[in-house]
Amino acid sequence: MNIKITGGRLYDPAQGLDGVQQDLFIKGDRIVSSLQKPDRVISAAGRVVVPGGIDLRGQVATYGLNFLRLWNGFPSLEDLGRLYAAAGYTHVHEPFLTLYTAGYVHRQLAAIPLVDTSASLVLNLRDLDNYLKSLDQLEEVAQTLKSLQEKTRSLDFRLLEPFVRYRQSFYSHRTLDTAKTLEALTRLAREFDLRFTLEASPEVLELPCPEPRAFHLAVLGRAVTDDRLLELALARLAEGVSADLGFESPIAATPLDGKPVKIDLGGYYPLDLNPAAGDLLPALRLALAHQGPGLAFSLGGPVRNPLKEFPPLFSWLCDRRARPLVDAQALPDREFSLMDWVWATRTLPAKILGLGDRGHLAPGARADVALFELPPEIPPASWAKYFGQCHTLLKAGETVIENYELVAPKTPKATYYRRRGAKEGPLLSEICQYRSIRPENLWVPEELGRAWVGLD
Amino acid sequence: MQETVQVEQQSLICTGCGCLCDDLDVTLAQGQLQEVANVCLWGLSRFFPTKRLHPKKERHRLLEPLSRLNGRLQEVPYTTALEQAAQILGQARRPLIYGLTNTGSWAQEAALQLARKIKARLEPADLAFKAPYYHSLRKHGLYWAPLEVIRDEADTVLFWGANPLHTCPRHLVRYSVFARGRYTERGVEDRQVAAVDLYQTEMAKFCQLLVQIEPGQELSLLQGIGAHLPGGSGVKPAVKGARKLAKFLSQAEFGVIFFGRGATYNQGLAVLDALGGLAARLGEKQTWALFPLSGDFNSQGLYHLLLNELGAPEAPDFGHEGGVLTSSTPVDFHEFDAILVLGADLFWFLPEDQALALQKRQVPVVSMSPFANRTTSCAQVVLPTALAGLEAAEVAYRMDGLPLVLKKLLPTALPADRDILLDLIQAM
Repeated sequence: MNIKITGGRLYDPAQGLDGVQQDLFIKGDRIVSSLQKPDRVISAAGRVVVPGGIDLRGQVATYGLNFLRLWNGFPSLEDLGRLYAAAGYTHVHEPFLTLYTAGYVHRQLAAIPLVDTSASLVLNLRDLDNYLKSLDQLEEVAQTLKSLQEKTRSLDFRLLEPFVRYRQSFYSHRTLDTAKTLEALTRLAREFDLRFTLEASPEVLELPCPEPRAFHLAVLGRAVTDDRLLELALARLAEGVSADLGFESPIAATPLDGKPVKIDLGGYYPLDLNPAAGDLLPALRLALAHQGPGLAFSLGGPVRNPLKEFPPLFSWLCDRRARPLVDAQALPDREFSLMDWVWATRTLPAKILGLGDRGHLAPGARADVALFELPPEIPPASWAKYFGQCHTLLKAGETVIENYELVAPKTPKATYYRRRGAKEGPLLSEICQYRSIRPENLWVPEELGRAWVGLD
Repeated sequence: MQETVQVEQQSLICTGCGCLCDDLDVTLAQGQLQEVANVCLWGLSRFFPTKRLHPKKERHRLLEPLSRLNGRLQEVPYTTALEQAAQILGQARRPLIYGLTNTGSWAQEAALQLARKIKARLEPADLAFKAPYYHSLRKHGLYWAPLEVIRDEADTVLFWGANPLHTCPRHLVRYSVFARGRYTERGVEDRQVAAVDLYQTEMAKFCQLLVQIEPGQELSLLQGIGAHLPGGSGVKPAVKGARKLAKFLSQAEFGVIFFGRGATYNQGLAVLDALGGLAARLGEKQTWALFPLSGDFNSQGLYHLLLNELGAPEAPDFGHEGGVLTSSTPVDFHEFDAILVLGADLFWFLPEDQALALQKRQVPVVSMSPFANRTTSCAQVVLPTALAGLEAAEVAYRMDGLPLVLKKLLPTALPADRDILLDLIQAM
């Protein structure tokens, strides 16, 4: 269908469109520069027109996350898809997929309707310890990582533990500290065109980062627990590292009363799905202190309800009067503009995930467009109310939400992964030999997902 | 001239139990299964129609739909059987869908769809076993590790009311006891193994400690263990073995308690509550996981689906006004006037008085099964199904919740469980 969106104020940092009143044309699933005869005209008068949202760290399908539904705090996967679409999102990226939970994660992602999905492959460096130590077979390591990425159908690499430690003292000779690990990862990135997402920690911030563009720091807000660490984080961002904020959820946690919910993914520490409630201010302070282009928006924990969790955070970013009063004076005196918001929730996440045709409204981009009712006279203090729910959402040119109603519940969706075409080497066999599942069943087959899209 | 026979080797995932062993090698010749390697008796009974406990006795494979006429089951065309099944379920005031723990996930999804449509209650066959476990998790929290991690790291394993040799035979060699994990390279020599049971089972042959108790002593034993753990009251336990077990458990670095149906036969809710509390207490200092040993091959898939879709790993009942109610209490069959059974043999497990009550009330039963069993012999309509993982592709969740794709290796004219359920939905 050919669509003309008329009368809206376009916000697109990639093109420098800062509330420019301009028509937007869609032909099929793509944005085009002009259109002779539109089949449909959508009036966007009084509305802002932005690219579809991309959740860079939407923890929605992690192995074991399903258990949290026991405590009634989580929507079903069906509802999650609807909530994301209602919030103006078209893509969700799951952060935790491991070698043997890949099938699980993809089956969960496939059950989330409406939004496209992708996932990060969490590397367990115990699989590579001797190789990273010696540094003389890095090509083999790189090939293996690329091969694993394609076979698990993941989009990028993530490290929860940028070190190698063993619970059993017998294996202590194989440990690798964070500095040495980062050195090996830097060489891998430099020499073999790889990029790694590191879950940020004070320890990671303390170390130098010789190759900033090789790393993305996830959940940076959680690591910035004092002024010195904030300075270090800002320095990393100034060097060119990208990061996401990792806000604590602003809504009350599920009624778990501090009960442990831990999932052992085979690392040194288990994944804690019910961490003690953290402080919202470090991430907010970081977001406001950083003036550059390196910070994307994200939540640090499992996403329960984007419609309720995201808008308060957006309004705190955009209006100082909306911010939590405690320690609010200590926050930098800055407010996000709509351009900053679009950059942090759309443009930068698309860049980080390598989704070149998303996150902007330039001709050739996929027609993922969200319209929010936001008359120009509305002050930022009230934006949360307006950002909460999008008026209209188009995904690949198809209208998904219209006048706040879901009109196309069966909108096609896909899961994106990186195609690498890497060769299988002996290291891959070595990694597989420790598994209880044969390699052919370890790799994610077509049937466990839905509409795969391989990116080259 | 001698005719050459095409022989093909394939890898297969076993649907004999919740282990979903994926290292089976099968030999196919002329579209027939010739050999299966690495299989246990449970698996064997799926691939060659033999009885589970008596591998030399054949199991009757159902090949044609059946309908009861004048008290006898007679062959009927598929469409007739389907119409009758649809009529029985469609006309019922309170229909029940029972079983599903031995069906693939696609069929489970279709069954949930059917339950919504006909406003039925959907009852997992092993609800009495699993509901107390989830209740315990709600109360005490959770440390969950996939079998992969348990195999690599667990140095202390306790089986409580479980005999894996009878429920999931290869569990011991693949994951829990004899398996050579990455950091348990010497297999059983790197692990301490104990069991608590009412009987002196085969487990005694390799367990360093087997505590045999009388029925009803479970809670006393658990209290005794608690009293002798560090920080406990130290009161002399009422049940023999508690002190030794406490010592055994407190020596672990990474421990796991596998419990079986035996843990839920007597005061299941209280026993699982106490086991969950014990695991949580031990978990404060060491790593401890509480893990159900699911005998049925896709029990985990069903509870996963129920959690995903309804937020509760219980029996959903769509027959109530004002929405779905879920229940962790096993079904009272007196309420229901039609039953669809699939992925389970209801009449095998049902106490005799309840089975007689159903027959006395003439509650019509529709049974979907690849094999003849007690339920098919009592059913009004029988719909034979293709074997998931051999004759029909499916997805199943291993007992640790990891999904595996089951392949279709052999051709069959029989429809898969899911296809029948979708046909039923369409027919109503």
